[in-house]
Amino acid sequence: MRTAVQRFRLTLTPQRVLAVMFLIVLAYLVLVPLFVMLQETFTVHPMERFQIPGSMPGDLTTAHWERTFFGPDSYAFFYRPLINTLIVAVGLSLLALVIGGSLAWLVVRTNLPFKGLISNTAIIPYVMPSWTLALAWIALFKNQRLGGQRGIFESLTGVATPDWFAYGLFPIIITLALHYFPFGFMLIGGAIRNIDAQLEESAELLGAGRMTILRRIVFPLVLPAIFSTFLLTFSRGLGTFGTPHFLGGPVREFVLSTSLYANLIGQRPGIGYLAAVVMIALGVLVLYMDHRIIGARRSFVTISGKGARAGAVDLGRWRLPLGIGVLVFLFSVIAVPIGALAIDTVMLRPGQYSLENFTLHYWIGDAADRIGLATGEYGILRNSQLMGALGNTLQLASVVALICGVLGVLIGYTVVRLRGTVIAKLLDQLSFLPYLMPSIALGSIFLALFAVSRGPIPSLYGTFWLLMIACVVSYLPYAVKAGIGAMMQIGPELEEAAIMAGASWWTRMRRIIFPVQKSSYFSGMLLPFISVTRELSLLILLVTPATQLAATITLRYTDRGWYPYTNGMVLLLIVIVISATMLSRRLMKTDLAKGLGG
Amino acid sequence: MPLIRLRGVAKHFVGDVRAVDSLDLEIPDGSFTTLLGPSGCGKTTTLRMIAGLEMPTDGEIHIGDTLAFSLERGRALPPSKRGLGLVFQSYALWPHLTVRQNIAFGLEVQHVGRVELATRVEEVASALQIDALLERFTSELSGGQQQRVAIARVLVMRPSVLLLDEPLSNLDATLRMDMRAELKRLHAETGATIIYVTHDQLEALTMSTHIALMREGVLQQFGPPLEIYAQPANRFAADFLGNPRINLLDGVVDDGAIVCSGLRVPLGPVSAARGEALTVGLRAEEVRLGTTATAMAAPGRVESVLPTGSDWYFRVRLAGERRPIVTVRDNDAATLREGDDVWVEAAPSPLKAFDREGRSVTATGGKAAPAAAPRTTVAEVAW
Ligand SMILES: Nc1ncnc2c1ncn2[C@@H]1O[C@H](COP(=O)(O)OP(=O)(O)O)[C@@H](O)[C@H]1O
Ligand SMILES: [Mg+2]
Repeated sequence: MRTAVQRFRLTLTPQRVLAVMFLIVLAYLVLVPLFVMLQETFTVHPMERFQIPGSMPGDLTTAHWERTFFGPDSYAFFYRPLINTLIVAVGLSLLALVIGGSLAWLVVRTNLPFKGLISNTAIIPYVMPSWTLALAWIALFKNQRLGGQRGIFESLTGVATPDWFAYGLFPIIITLALHYFPFGFMLIGGAIRNIDAQLEESAELLGAGRMTILRRIVFPLVLPAIFSTFLLTFSRGLGTFGTPHFLGGPVREFVLSTSLYANLIGQRPGIGYLAAVVMIALGVLVLYMDHRIIGARRSFVTISGKGARAGAVDLGRWRLPLGIGVLVFLFSVIAVPIGALAIDTVMLRPGQYSLENFTLHYWIGDAADRIGLATGEYGILRNSQLMGALGNTLQLASVVALICGVLGVLIGYTVVRLRGTVIAKLLDQLSFLPYLMPSIALGSIFLALFAVSRGPIPSLYGTFWLLMIACVVSYLPYAVKAGIGAMMQIGPELEEAAIMAGASWWTRMRRIIFPVQKSSYFSGMLLPFISVTRELSLLILLVTPATQLAATITLRYTDRGWYPYTNGMVLLLIVIVISATMLSRRLMKTDLAKGLGG
Repeated sequence: MPLIRLRGVAKHFVGDVRAVDSLDLEIPDGSFTTLLGPSGCGKTTTLRMIAGLEMPTDGEIHIGDTLAFSLERGRALPPSKRGLGLVFQSYALWPHLTVRQNIAFGLEVQHVGRVELATRVEEVASALQIDALLERFTSELSGGQQQRVAIARVLVMRPSVLLLDEPLSNLDATLRMDMRAELKRLHAETGATIIYVTHDQLEALTMSTHIALMREGVLQQFGPPLEIYAQPANRFAADFLGNPRINLLDGVVDDGAIVCSGLRVPLGPVSAARGEALTVGLRAEEVRLGTTATAMAAPGRVESVLPTGSDWYFRVRLAGERRPIVTVRDNDAATLREGDDVWVEAAPSPLKAFDREGRSVTATGGKAAPAAAPRTTVAEVAW
């Protein structure tokens, strides 16, 4: 007994103390909210008092569950959105896989021209806000249904786009897939790169044809990466809000995220929380399947590691056409949308493409101008509300990136140093959990947790703190992943050498651990920065007029049909995220893929 | 001062891996002590426990007059307070710092003044002939240079004990020879105690003043290299040290000799019961080849002749046997060729014989647990 106590005292190292601290904080921020949210689905909320006869606010009830699953209108607000969600998530994941996977194979394994340019630009669609493409789609293809204005396509050709093409599930799937395919490009590209060329060559020596090699050798080895990509896009697709809101809204086609939003800000929060529970259950289910199907395979892929580089597959006479085709594709998913949005912001009256209609009113106009769509509204660059929101966004993104970066370092450090212990495993899994939670469901969790004060923790609703905490928890998995990856690479000796020299824990972190893996850690910070800048799904439920952000404020303008303002703001956000990516790649040698790793 | 004592030190990892088991060891002051053994036998773990990087699961460690670790007393002196310097097998040089910054780091951490810091860095750099490399990053250095930097980084702290974990294993063969000599010079010049880990028995034999031979976490024998070579405490020790490997022949005691496949190995002063089964260890240089029969010799045939330039080695099969084949070094037999019939004679000095359990029945000194006797001679520590 005495020795057991002594042993405990002796093993009380900084990493253990840290680990326990992190466990407690994470448990409060990740586990407790899950329970609170479940509890909310059984609670009568003030505005639900009249829908549930004879109940008082705070009463326990199963009415939300009954109404959602068995109510007379449950098809309209639950089952149909659920089916739509599944269609969208599966459809976009498959499409993103096909695009990303083919692109990865072309770039890594063939003699495609313009490889450098393609690799550098293929990431950009992911960096841009996911709803950029939705807005661009509307600018390009909207028809008279939205009232008055025609899209660029209709103006140029005179052909009216059909509703199913302009709005609803079809464009939602297309635009989201075009946003998420870089996941596949990075993860699958990494996996293909790691395949030992000798595996392919020995099959070739045995007389296997190119397609047989692809199907029997390459494909199975890349399968784990394919599943990782699928998991990632599927769960992102579940929780995405902006695109379905913009493209589904006009035709009243809901998915779970938009239905959740409508219920939560409307009169039925209980049902809204229930939608969030269902979304999280779906996310966990996907992970479980991924684990069952692919868990065992993953190990051998990492082992195969570095081999000789494969000789590039010769594309023959398809080489140039394919290269140009890929460039045209990237051009049309990056430059065309940006161009469409840009044109929209300089046309006084939408849809009339003539020189006299050209204006900078939406950028620098005066509120007193009394022209354009919105009277009494300053141009974007002079608009204190919009610029204030942009300032909030930059502030939030910087703070969150910093916190995530530091936490990524520390948690990565603790997990790797305590490898093999229960505490490390718990910490690893707990910080990974938010990865599975669809963004808008995570947002509703924080709404549930911090709407009222609980014990010593005050109500944070309406404060900057709430946004900050939500973002940190949401992007922690990426930062921790980068942190663990970095720590795994350097091994314990570098730190032990400093221990021998008598450096304190803090000195070691500051002078050895952090500087050695600087670029990995900055990669771990870049992703949160970009993501927060364009985040809509996570924060839409949490912002208040006092804490408006650039992304969320645009919603108010679209809802009124003031697209030039929305599009202008999105352009500003795009400029910010792309320059942040470029700048940190130049200065810190960051690599976005490090935070994503499959 | 720095006599290092390990008492009952053990390290068990999760999953019941017994990396080190109740190790008793006394490392003399000023010695060049080598922890020797096959890979995975617990050498690195032992070294790391002495350094304080690994926490033993049992036992006590004293360094000089201080108790460095005791589970009983709940004491674990931090590594930097032990007055030791550790050179890692991977060198563990900090890649983001220059050679100068690498060497200076420890001094900075200890708040050594600027002037003194600079002179000490220059001093140690010139002693190790790396003064020209001070402004380079460590990734720009060759393996040998990196090693010197790693040693300089440790020496600049003026440790009284230097711990080296397989320092030569990443170097190519010629460089390895040079560094061996240099490390010996370093030992002589600094007078520091060196604890050196290797799995290379030749390295251990040529460099050390003492060897601690380990196997599967258990100390097999401790003593000066030539003593272990001449009087191995068990079959394992006999087999592990020496190149070529020792000949181990099974035999039975007859009057005055052990008879192995017709070869009579004289017992000398050793007493053994008639009929007892023993294994004899014969070093290659303890076997002679002759062309005429003697009372003790056995007939054999030369299987292969292996000249190394300075020495003549032979592989000889004893007559009428599939095995054993005996390895012989006999420079007087240079005229023999493959297929020649010879007489094989053994002249062990001293005789190395092992019982059925592999324990030596002939060794006089240092069977395992060498610490048992001198334990009381060490002044009891102040607690
Ligand atoms: N951190 C650890 N966790 C579990 N087992 C370990 C650990 N470190 C070493 N071991 C095991 O302990 C034994 C001794 O290892 P080590 O001291 O490194 O051997 P050596 O240095 O003699 O090659 C080996 O079986 C090794 O696998
Ligand atoms: Mg070792």
